[in-house]
Amino acid sequence: MTRSAIILVRIALLLAVLGAWEVLPRAGIVNPMLLPPLSLVLKTLGEILRRGDFQEAMAVTTAEVLVAFVIAVPLGAVLGVLSAENEYFGAIFKPMLFYVFSIPKSIFLPMFILVFGIGFGQKVAYATFSTIFIVIMSASAAVESIKSEYVLVAQSYGATRAQILRRIYVPSMMPILLETLRISMIFNFTGVMISEMYASRTGVGHMIANWGENFMLPQLFAGVVVLAVAAMSFNELVRYMEARWSTWRS
Amino acid sequence: MEHMAKLNRRPEHAPQAAVEVRGLGHIYEGRDGAVPALTDIDLTVPAGHFTVIVGPSGCGKTSLLMMLAGLRTQTSGTILCDGRPIPKPDPERVGVVFQEASLYPWLTAVENVEFPLVLKGAPRSERRARAEEMLNLVGLEGFGGRYPHELSGGMKQRVSIARGLVQDPPVLLMDEPFAALDEQTRMTMGHELLRIWSQTSKTVVFITHSLTEAVYLADEVVVMSARPGRILDRVPVDLPRPRTYQMMATDKFGQLRERIWHQIRDTP
Repeated sequence: MTRSAIILVRIALLLAVLGAWEVLPRAGIVNPMLLPPLSLVLKTLGEILRRGDFQEAMAVTTAEVLVAFVIAVPLGAVLGVLSAENEYFGAIFKPMLFYVFSIPKSIFLPMFILVFGIGFGQKVAYATFSTIFIVIMSASAAVESIKSEYVLVAQSYGATRAQILRRIYVPSMMPILLETLRISMIFNFTGVMISEMYASRTGVGHMIANWGENFMLPQLFAGVVVLAVAAMSFNELVRYMEARWSTWRS
Repeated sequence: MEHMAKLNRRPEHAPQAAVEVRGLGHIYEGRDGAVPALTDIDLTVPAGHFTVIVGPSGCGKTSLLMMLAGLRTQTSGTILCDGRPIPKPDPERVGVVFQEASLYPWLTAVENVEFPLVLKGAPRSERRARAEEMLNLVGLEGFGGRYPHELSGGMKQRVSIARGLVQDPPVLLMDEPFAALDEQTRMTMGHELLRIWSQTSKTVVFITHSLTEAVYLADEVVVMSARPGRILDRVPVDLPRPRTYQMMATDKFGQLRERIWHQIRDTP
């Protein structure tokens, strides 16, 4: 199949799904109470986007996601590099990190509520906690992926430690780090959503949970569309950066 | 200084040694205690000479080269490069060309070549001009913008050589630079290396497993024993220069090759 044929099929498939979403509830084949037709969801979407409380919730959620991301990614990257680079640090912390990584983070949520309450701080703390392990593991794998010859060559040309970090480590690790950025955002976003849906006074996750409990399906779907678009946009942005960075890869 | 180096291009005008190793020994701490890797190494490479080191795998040739480059410290003995000890890498005295392609895949050919100058903090225009000049020298004019994965194995090693020469060090160390190449490319690269060498008057220390390559390239072949590595023989190669492929078919070439082969074969 040629590339354009594949793209055409993809578009056709998307249109088919969207079409079914509109037609099936209207025809009564699917219960419209459970799956409101697409046009109704989009109309509701337009309404809620204009609502002050939804805009406020979006602002809060965005802030939580960004703050947790800005804490978890650099901190996790530094810890990951340290655990790969420093023999003792690695020997002590790696097994521990590895074990904790395997536990589903959501079981710790009640403890976060007890310690941080149900406000902004708790969302950020929990999302950071659910994101940081994947960042540590990936950063440590990224360091281990650096070829020792690359470092040796730089040393033979008199590179200092700082120069090796900047000129060898960073570019060598960049493909894995960008990938990590993408995956950690998924973990981070999920962390914020779960903690908002579990116990909160505001935020998009909180509103979605409420709409669900009150059987307000058009609103619920509209909220889902907003979050899906936000998540996919970030994902595509990082993928675009990856593609630009990776021109040197075969 | 540069002009002086150019005047002194042939060894007979430059009697001082570019590389001088005296009583060098090296012991490393292995899992089962101390392992002697090199013993009693004495080596003199006159300025402008092409010396090739051959020996069985694990005989410590690469360790020796690392020490000459200041990348490793020997347990005993002295090393003088260009008249002075080399406690740490000094790219203005010693350039290194590594095994296989050690080019940075995220840098283009010309960026790879100018990498040592970037570390030194040379101005952009100056280092770019110098790198282009080196690429021309190794026969890669017009390929500067390519990434390593867009170059053939032979071209990659040309870039490595250009990178080794970019700071104009008097000494160039080469650790099996052509080992990963196919036979035909390897021959061409050997020939090219001799051309570059004759144009730049460098002192070369070259490690290889190929005896044909050793005899073809060298002024002198140093034969090392299996571990602990020591020098078994020094074979002067008095074939005329420039070397030609036809020389490989001569009796003289065969005898030299045979002499080296006997030394290596007889070691356990």
